[in-house]
Amino acid sequence: MALASRSARLALARLGRLGLGSCGAPRRGAYEWGVRSTRKPEPPPPDRVYEIPGLEPITYAGKMHFMPGLARPVFPPWDPDWTPPKFRRLPPLHEHPLYKDQACYVFHQRCRLLEGVKQALWLTKTKLIEGLPEKVLSLADDPRNHIENQDECVLNVIFHARLWHSTEDIPKRETYCPVIVDSLIQLCKSQILKHPSLARRICAQNNMLSTTWNRESTLIQVHGSSGAQLNAKDPLPPIASQEEVEATKNHVLETFYPISPTVGLQECNVYDVNDDTGFREGYPYPYPHTLYLLESANLRPHRFQPDQLRAKMILFAFGNALAQARLLYGNDTKVLEQPVVVQSVGTDGRVFQFLVLQLNTTDLASDEGVKNLVWIDSDQLLYEHFWCLPVVRRKAVVEPVGPTGFQPETFRKFLALYLHGAV
Amino acid sequence: MAAARCWRLVLRGSGLSLHTAAEAAVKAPEVTGPDVAAAPVARYPPVVASLTADSKAARQRRVERWQATVHAAKSVDEKLRILTKMQFMKYVVYPQTFALNADRWYQSFTKTVFLSGLPPPPPARPDTEPAPALDVVALRDAACDCLLQEHFFLRRKKRVPLYLEHEAITSPFLDQLVASLTGLLSARNPALANAALDCKRPVHFYWLRGEEIISHGHRKGRVDALRYQINDKPHNQIRISKQLPEFVPLDYSVPVEIPVMNCKPDKLPLFKRQYENTIFIGTKTADPHCYGHTQFHLLPDKLKRERLLKQNCADQIEVVFRANAIASLFAWTGAQAMYQGFWSEADVTRPFVSQGVITDGKYFSFFCYQLNTLALTAQADQNNPRKNICWGTQIHTWEGTLE
Repeated sequence: MALASRSARLALARLGRLGLGSCGAPRRGAYEWGVRSTRKPEPPPPDRVYEIPGLEPITYAGKMHFMPGLARPVFPPWDPDWTPPKFRRLPPLHEHPLYKDQACYVFHQRCRLLEGVKQALWLTKTKLIEGLPEKVLSLADDPRNHIENQDECVLNVIFHARLWHSTEDIPKRETYCPVIVDSLIQLCKSQILKHPSLARRICAQNNMLSTTWNRESTLIQVHGSSGAQLNAKDPLPPIASQEEVEATKNHVLETFYPISPTVGLQECNVYDVNDDTGFREGYPYPYPHTLYLLESANLRPHRFQPDQLRAKMILFAFGNALAQARLLYGNDTKVLEQPVVVQSVGTDGRVFQFLVLQLNTTDLASDEGVKNLVWIDSDQLLYEHFWCLPVVRRKAVVEPVGPTGFQPETFRKFLALYLHGAV
Repeated sequence: MAAARCWRLVLRGSGLSLHTAAEAAVKAPEVTGPDVAAAPVARYPPVVASLTADSKAARQRRVERWQATVHAAKSVDEKLRILTKMQFMKYVVYPQTFALNADRWYQSFTKTVFLSGLPPPPPARPDTEPAPALDVVALRDAACDCLLQEHFFLRRKKRVPLYLEHEAITSPFLDQLVASLTGLLSARNPALANAALDCKRPVHFYWLRGEEIISHGHRKGRVDALRYQINDKPHNQIRISKQLPEFVPLDYSVPVEIPVMNCKPDKLPLFKRQYENTIFIGTKTADPHCYGHTQFHLLPDKLKRERLLKQNCADQIEVVFRANAIASLFAWTGAQAMYQGFWSEADVTRPFVSQGVITDGKYFSFFCYQLNTLALTAQADQNNPRKNICWGTQIHTWEGTLE
């Protein structure tokens, strides 16, 4: 339309008022835009019956249908007492029953800590020791604990997970990562014949963990589910002796000024302080044994970096241990006589991170005193690369189908972590 | 004249060759004199039907040539490729179906006989020592722990609504149950300790059975085989590296008749589609764990007992379980047999046996299946007395209620 823009219309209207009648735009309200059939209908004329004071209008409300001579009834506006969940608005944060003035920094399963392991160590008041403890490594090297044809079985597991389990030529990480972890756990479970106490364990998923602690006047909370978790009927024995635990008093936690220790954590004012292991009372398998964290996203930017994965493992293991300690020994902050031990394995289907955490104290507010201990074995490759299709150069097979750079040591450590506590 | 001369030359030439051939024929009996019983040497190439003519004999010869390539295939992968590479319209059979009386239809598609109760136990061998007593109490405790963990002890993020209960609670419960029972029972059965456990891995099978006359199209009036495909996803399955022993001998004749359906499978209702023909047991052919042990199926919400009762289909409750068992176990055992190189023209020489447990979280039904024959095509089934057998129990429930 030629005069669609308002400014053009105004300009011409001004011209019209100046006296240029016929070529100017019409007066406002004199012309209605739109094809007659698409125009909205006119509003109905207002009822004049209700304007007469003192007279009660006789309406057809009681008759339940229209009657030409009677007045139109006016009903009170309908108030639906129920809104469907789709249209419900959340109340503002201040009115939420769990709102608190002090902000809490929550760590959930998608939090990436900027300083990685260092930050996780500071938040949980823990001392890092590289490599797994000797007790666990001795389990790995003990030939009595080996499965027969262990290497062959593990290679079969790798083939199955990376190539065989799906009809596609090259299965994606989202499918092969859980398959490989499940198959390795199944392989470890085959040792149940030698160690019957392996039957006193159960696997659980999607349990909601929630623990809160004070760390130098900041409130930190671990909240969320960490994936698959192995629970046992018997607790894991403590690894470090009393002397080593006392020796941690001299250790100084590494700070990373100017970065705040709460960077990467989600700050929120609506939170619940109560501890929750994720299981109700009377659960027959009360002690958390190992957490399995999988990074199975297909795209690399969606997966955690190894450092961030290790930090997540530390924090979730610590959260489980703290919840368990508070359940067993009460909420007071003290040094534990019986430390609580929790293990964790993190992987993206090829690279494994092993972790054993020993909780020695629940007194986390100050920087001095006994620290907790964590043993980390990082970046253990199970295999370097897996060729799903053979690499053929000039009609000769250069790389056959299968894994390259297979390291059987990684599975031995996995098995040792699984058998720890039952052997 | 020139032509006549050429003709005479040709005659002489052919005469020469005839002469030499006659000499050879005369000499041959002299050479093989002592071997009088030898078959006479063929003097002409075999007289066979044409390959390219528009005749039934030519078609038969083409079919036989294709079957010969399958027989001659060097590896199982190649064999499966030749059998499944041509795509045509086929019926898609769903093991978990709401169709009425689906178990009778599936019995006719798969040539299966259904016997109620479990198969006869194997004869006790005197040389092996008796198996250790089954610790029923421990198994029951483990099962109760799994049940209570999912239904009661585990605190989830949000309270699970009723329509999601199935996938959020019953599914992990079945996973845990299978894992715990496998672990506990591996003491009695060492094969279970080394077994492979699959969760929700697909199982596919493609087969031909019966014939029909094509009703419309450019091939109208011609005889065409009926093709079927099952694409199943059992909730859990256990695969072992050694085959399970047979329940009954391969040629065991069952007096029960297989139901014969007089109408086309479309009436079930069954629909045709054309897509990739796959045969898959849960892993590829290279896996050493290529024999099946047990499958576990979880019936979806759509087929649950209360819904069927509301629809006045109380008799279909058993049918749902049976149809699922027959279709899934036939597909699995058939695919296992094809992984060993058997197909409809090379029938199985040993029976393939698998078991199945079908449940909807509260009601369990146990099935055993023995595959005796893969020869289900019209050509191979002409003189085939063997039938596949499926044993099934009644529906059992959990004792007691959840508090």
